[in-house]
Amino acid sequence: MLVKDCMTRHPIMISPETLATEAQKIMGENDVRHLPVVGDGKKLLGLITRERLALKPDMMGSLNVWEITRYLSNLTVVKVMLPTAKVHTVDSERTVERAASIMSEYKVGCLPVVDDGVVVGIISEIDLLHSFQDMLGLPADGVRVTVRVPNVKGEFAKITSVVSHQEWGVMGIGSFPSPRHAGFYDVVLKIPNVHKEEVRAILSQTAGHEVVDVRDVV
Amino acid sequence: MAIAQPTAGVRPSRWQQMWKSVAIIFESRVATVGLAMVLFWLLIGFISLVWTPHEPNASDFIQNLPPNGTNWLGTDHLGRDITSRLMQGTQVILLKTRLPGDSEISIPGGVAIWGVIGSLVLGVTLGLNAGYRGGWWDQIIMQILDALIAFPRIVLYLVVIAALGQGDMVVILAITITGAPGVARLARSLAMDIKTRDYIRAAETRGESVRYIMFREILPNARGPLLVDAMLRVGYAIFAIGTLGFLGIGLPPPDPDWGNMVNEARRNIFSNQTAVIWPSLAIATLVIGLNLFADGLREELTRYQK
Amino acid sequence: MTGKQKKSPVLKVEDLAVAYKVRGGEIEAVQRVSFEINRGETYGIVGESGCGKSTVAWAIVNFLGANGYVKRGSIKFQGQELVGKSGEELRRLRGDQIAMVYQDPMQALNPSMRLGDQMKEVLTVHRGMADDEAAQHCIQMLERVYMPDAANVMRRYPHQISGGQQQRVVIAMALLNNPALLVMDEPTTALDVTVEAAVLDLIAELSRDFDTAIMYITHNLGVIARVSNRVGVMYAGEMVERGTVAKIYKNPRHPYTQGLMRCVPKLGADKAGSILHPIRGRVPPPTHRPAGCVFGPRCDYIQDKCREERPLLRDLDGIMVRCHFAEEIIASEWTPSEELALPQIEAVSSDSETILELNDLKKYYEVQGSSFKDVIGLGEKRYVKAVENANFTVAKGKTLGVVGESGCGKSTLIKTIIGLEGSTSGKATFMGFDISGDISGRDEALIQELQMVFQNPDSTMNPSYTVGQQIGRPMLRFGTVPKNQVRGEVIKLLESMRLGENYYDRLPRQLSGGEKQRVGIARALASRPNLVLCDEPVSALDVSVQAAILNLLLEVQQEFNTTLVFIAHDLSVVRFFSDEVAVMYLGQIMEIGPADAIYAPPYHPYTEALLSAVPIPDPTIQQKHIRLEGSVPSAINPPSGCRFHTRCPRRKLLPHGGKICETELPNWQITGDGHRIFCHIPAETLQTFDPVITVESD
Repeated sequence: MLVKDCMTRHPIMISPETLATEAQKIMGENDVRHLPVVGDGKKLLGLITRERLALKPDMMGSLNVWEITRYLSNLTVVKVMLPTAKVHTVDSERTVERAASIMSEYKVGCLPVVDDGVVVGIISEIDLLHSFQDMLGLPADGVRVTVRVPNVKGEFAKITSVVSHQEWGVMGIGSFPSPRHAGFYDVVLKIPNVHKEEVRAILSQTAGHEVVDVRDVV
Repeated sequence: MAIAQPTAGVRPSRWQQMWKSVAIIFESRVATVGLAMVLFWLLIGFISLVWTPHEPNASDFIQNLPPNGTNWLGTDHLGRDITSRLMQGTQVILLKTRLPGDSEISIPGGVAIWGVIGSLVLGVTLGLNAGYRGGWWDQIIMQILDALIAFPRIVLYLVVIAALGQGDMVVILAITITGAPGVARLARSLAMDIKTRDYIRAAETRGESVRYIMFREILPNARGPLLVDAMLRVGYAIFAIGTLGFLGIGLPPPDPDWGNMVNEARRNIFSNQTAVIWPSLAIATLVIGLNLFADGLREELTRYQK
Repeated sequence: MTGKQKKSPVLKVEDLAVAYKVRGGEIEAVQRVSFEINRGETYGIVGESGCGKSTVAWAIVNFLGANGYVKRGSIKFQGQELVGKSGEELRRLRGDQIAMVYQDPMQALNPSMRLGDQMKEVLTVHRGMADDEAAQHCIQMLERVYMPDAANVMRRYPHQISGGQQQRVVIAMALLNNPALLVMDEPTTALDVTVEAAVLDLIAELSRDFDTAIMYITHNLGVIARVSNRVGVMYAGEMVERGTVAKIYKNPRHPYTQGLMRCVPKLGADKAGSILHPIRGRVPPPTHRPAGCVFGPRCDYIQDKCREERPLLRDLDGIMVRCHFAEEIIASEWTPSEELALPQIEAVSSDSETILELNDLKKYYEVQGSSFKDVIGLGEKRYVKAVENANFTVAKGKTLGVVGESGCGKSTLIKTIIGLEGSTSGKATFMGFDISGDISGRDEALIQELQMVFQNPDSTMNPSYTVGQQIGRPMLRFGTVPKNQVRGEVIKLLESMRLGENYYDRLPRQLSGGEKQRVGIARALASRPNLVLCDEPVSALDVSVQAAILNLLLEVQQEFNTTLVFIAHDLSVVRFFSDEVAVMYLGQIMEIGPADAIYAPPYHPYTEALLSAVPIPDPTIQQKHIRLEGSVPSAINPPSGCRFHTRCPRRKLLPHGGKICETELPNWQITGDGHRIFCHIPAETLQTFDPVITVESD
C-alpha cells in the first residue's frame, strides 16, 4: 500500500493570511488537528497544529485581557505556523510503512503529502491506523487466528497451502516477529465464513505450527 | 374547457401599450435630453409657421446689428431679423418641402426627413434583396453600392446638383443617393441574420413569394435598428443640407436655410461677429439632439432585447 | 478504502438565498437552499429551466455578475466560509480547489489559442511549472480523459476538434489543479447520446480516482440516475426534495418530483401502452412566486395550508422533503386531475394507404475546396453526402420516427422532403405526386399538404405578428378558409391546442416556450396538411412541457388523421411517439421497422450502441455497456463499404474481423414484418444479442 492510497485527498488548507482564530475555528468545526498552509497553486508554506495555536504561558502573563484580544485579532497563521523547512513531508508514491517510520521517528502526528511542492493530501496517524485495521481485515466478520511458525523459509507456504486446500478466503493477513520468542513469527489471518474450532483443528495439524490465539471477531 | 373568459379588463388598452413603448425613451436620460432638444426645434418650427417676431425675408432694419431689444439675435448683412430667419430655417429642414416650379405649394415633411425616407426605401429594398436572396444578387448589389461609397460625399452631391440643378427635390435626391448604401448595408446584415430563423423556414414551406418574405416577414423585425439608424441619418442629412447651403448650392432662396445663413454671415464676419454663431448653433443642437436621442434609444432597445 | 467515516463535507450550503438587483428592486432567484456534498461524491441537482440551479453554482464559484449577491445563508467549502470572503482569497480558492465545467465547452476555451498552450497556462502561470514539464502533465491528463492522440491535440485549436472532445479538454483542464470540488453545469446537454454516455462514464471514473466531489447540474433525470449518489430537486428557486438517488427514484415524496417522473417516457414505453402526464402550468418567474408552497399552483394535492404557509424541509424516511402533506401523498394512487384531459389512443389500422414513398433518395451538397484549382472551378468536385439512398414508405395516419446523432442527415432528409432543398437523385412521391424537386416547382395544393414544425420555440414565431395573424396566414394564403371566417377557425385551432381565445392577440414575446411551440404546431396544421414534418419539436423544452406537447401532437394526429415524420435525438421519446422508426448514421438509414422491433433484438450494431447509451431515469435498470470509439467520420469522405465499419463494435463477429464491411455495402436483411437491417452480420447472429435493457428483479 502506498501513501497515495491511504492519504486523505483534498485536505482542508488555509492561506497564510488566515487569522489564527479563524484557523482554530476551522479545526474545531471540522474535527481536524492539522492544517497545511498553502500559497498560490497549493504550494506548501507551512503547517498549523493545535499546539501552534496555543498561547504560550509566559506571554499570557505579560499581557492583560485587552492586549490579548488585540494580539489575537491581528495574528495571522503565517506568524505562528511551522514553516516548510521544518515540516516533515512525504510524497505520494512512498510506502505506508515509510510514512509511518517518518512519523514515529520525528514524533509527528501527520505528514502533508507533497508532490513537486504542491500539497496533494495529508496522511495522519489516524489514516495509518485505518490502513492497519484494513490490513488485518477488521471491518468484516470472520475468524481471526494467530499461528506461530518458525522463522524458516517455506513455513508460510504451508499455511497458505492448507488455506487453499480448505478453499478458505483470507480477508486480512499480517505477520510480525513473535514477541519474546526469538526465531518465530506470528502470522495473523482473518478468515470469513468458518467456525473457530474448525480453524484451530486444521491449522494446528501442520508440524511445528502452533495456534496461539483464535477468536471470532465481529 | 373554459376558454372564452372576459379579457378586456386584463389586457392593457392600445393607448396603454403605446404609452408603454414610448415610456422606454424616458428610461434613458440621454434619450430624454435628445428628445427635448429635437422637440424644441420642432416647436420653434411650428411657431414660425404662424408667427415670427418680424418678417424673415424683409430688410426692415439696419444692417449688421448686434443683438438688441428688437432684434434679439441681431440682423444680418441685408438688415433682416436673424431670430425670425432662424425660426423659419427649421421649416425647410423638418416641416415642409417646396415643390419645383414657381408654385407656392409645399408638401409636409422637411427636406431632411424626405431625404432619409428616400434613402430608407432605396436602401432597405436593395439591402433586403442582397441579404435574403444572397448569391449573385448580393454580389452585384453590394458591388454597386460599394462603388458609390467610394466617391466622396461632397463630390456626389455636386454631381447630382450639377446634373439636375438646384431645388428642394434635388437635395432630397442627393441625400437619398448618399444615404442609401449605408442603409442597405445595415438592412442586408439584418436580413442575413433574420433569414436563418425558423419562421422564415415556415414561410418558405408555405411557398410564400420572395417579396412577401422580405417585406412582411423580415422587415418588421429589422424595424428597430433601422429606425434608430434613420434617426441618426436625419442628423447627417441636416448636416448635409448645411454643407450644401454653405457651398451655395443647397436649398434655393429666398427662404432662409441655416447653411446658407452661416455662409453669408461668414462673408460679413468682420462687420458682424455674432451672426455666424446662431445658425451654427442651431445646426449643432438639432444634430446633437437627434444623435443623443438615437443613441439613448438604441441603448434602451438593446437592453430590453431578449 | 473502507472505514473512513465521519468526514466533514467538502461543500456545505446552508439556507442560501441569492438575489439579483434589477431596475426597480431586487429578485431573489434562489431561496432557502441547503445541501452538502461529501468527498468523492457526485451530487446531482435537477430541475426545470428557471429553477435556479445555475444560480446556486454561480454563487459557489462567486460568478454572480455585477448585480447578483448572496443575500442570506452560508456556503462553506472545506469548512471555510466563502460568503463574505475577499475577492483575492476567493480567487485563489477557485483557481486551486474549485473548478467549473459549463454546458458549452467553447465558453471555457479561447478560440485563438492552441489547446496545449491554454492547458499549460494553468500550470505554468499558477504553479510556476516549467514549460515542458507542464506539457508533460497536460498530455498525461488528456490521456487520462481518453483523448485519442493526446500529443497531437495539444497543437490544435479548439475548433479543430469535435464538441465531445472539447468537453474532454475542458474536463482535463479542470482536473489539472486536482480540485476538491468540481461544479458541472449541464456538461453533456449539448452532446450526442453516445458521446454523452462516454463523458458520463469518464466523470464517474474521475470522481472515484481523484476523490473529487462533484456537483452535477442537469435537467435530465436519466443522467442523474447514472452519475450521482445523491440528488437535490430544485423548483422555483427552492430545493423541494433531496436524498439518495435510489430512494428518490423509487419513491419520490414531493408532488413535483413525482410529476417530473411521470413526464418522461420510459425507454420501452409506447403510446398505446402508457400515457405521459405533464405537470400543468409553468414555473413561476421569481417575481411572481406564490406566497405559500411554491409548487402550490401546479400541485394536485393543494390544500388551504399550502396556500398560506411555506412548508419547511423535513425528514421523511431519509428523504428531506419540503411539503406539508408528503406522508399522505402516495404516488401510485395518483390520478390525473380533470384539467389534464389526456389523449385516448386508438390503434391505427395497419393497412392504410401509403402517403409518402422515397426511392433511393439522395441529397449531396457541393463543397468548395480551398485550393487555387477549386477557386477557379477546375478542381474535382467534392460532395457532402448528407442523405444516401433513403428508401422507405409512410402510411397515412402513421408516425415515422427518425433518430440518429447530430450530423447524421436527419434534418437534411426532412428539408428535402418538404422542398427547402431539392434532391440530388432518386425519387420521392407524396400522395402520388413527385416531390423530388424543391418547393418552387410544386403545386400550391401540394405545398399546402406538407407542413413543418420547428425545433426552437424562440425562433419558430415571427416576433412582429400576433398569434392570430400567424396562424391565420396559411389559411389566407391557401384559401382553405373564407376570409371572414379565419378568426373563428384560428380560435378553434387554438382551442384544440389548449390555448384560449385570449391568445389571439398576443405577441410571441408574451408566451412561454411551450406555448410558442403549440402555436407553431397550430400554424403547421392551419392549412390542413396531410403530412407534418416535426424537426425535434420537443428537444428544446422542459420535460413537463415536453410531455404536454407530445400528448398534444398525438391528439392532433388522432383528430385530423395526420401523418407525422418525427425527428428526435431522444430515443425514449421516439419510441414513445412513433409507429415506425428509422435509425440513421452518416446519411445512411441503418435500420428501419416497427418501433417495438427496433428496440428489441435483432438490433443493428449501431442501434444497439445508441440504446445502451441512453440515460434511463431508473437506477434499478441494467443497461449493456457498449461505447462507440472515436467520433463520427466526415460526410465528405464517408468510410467505404458500410459507413459504420470504423466504429462498429460487432464487426469482429464476422470472418477476418469484418473485412467485408470495409469494402462492400451490406444488403438489407429483412427480419420480420417491415423490419430491415442494413448490416453484413447475419440476422440470426444479430438475433442472439441480449436485450440492451433489462429490469432488475426486485
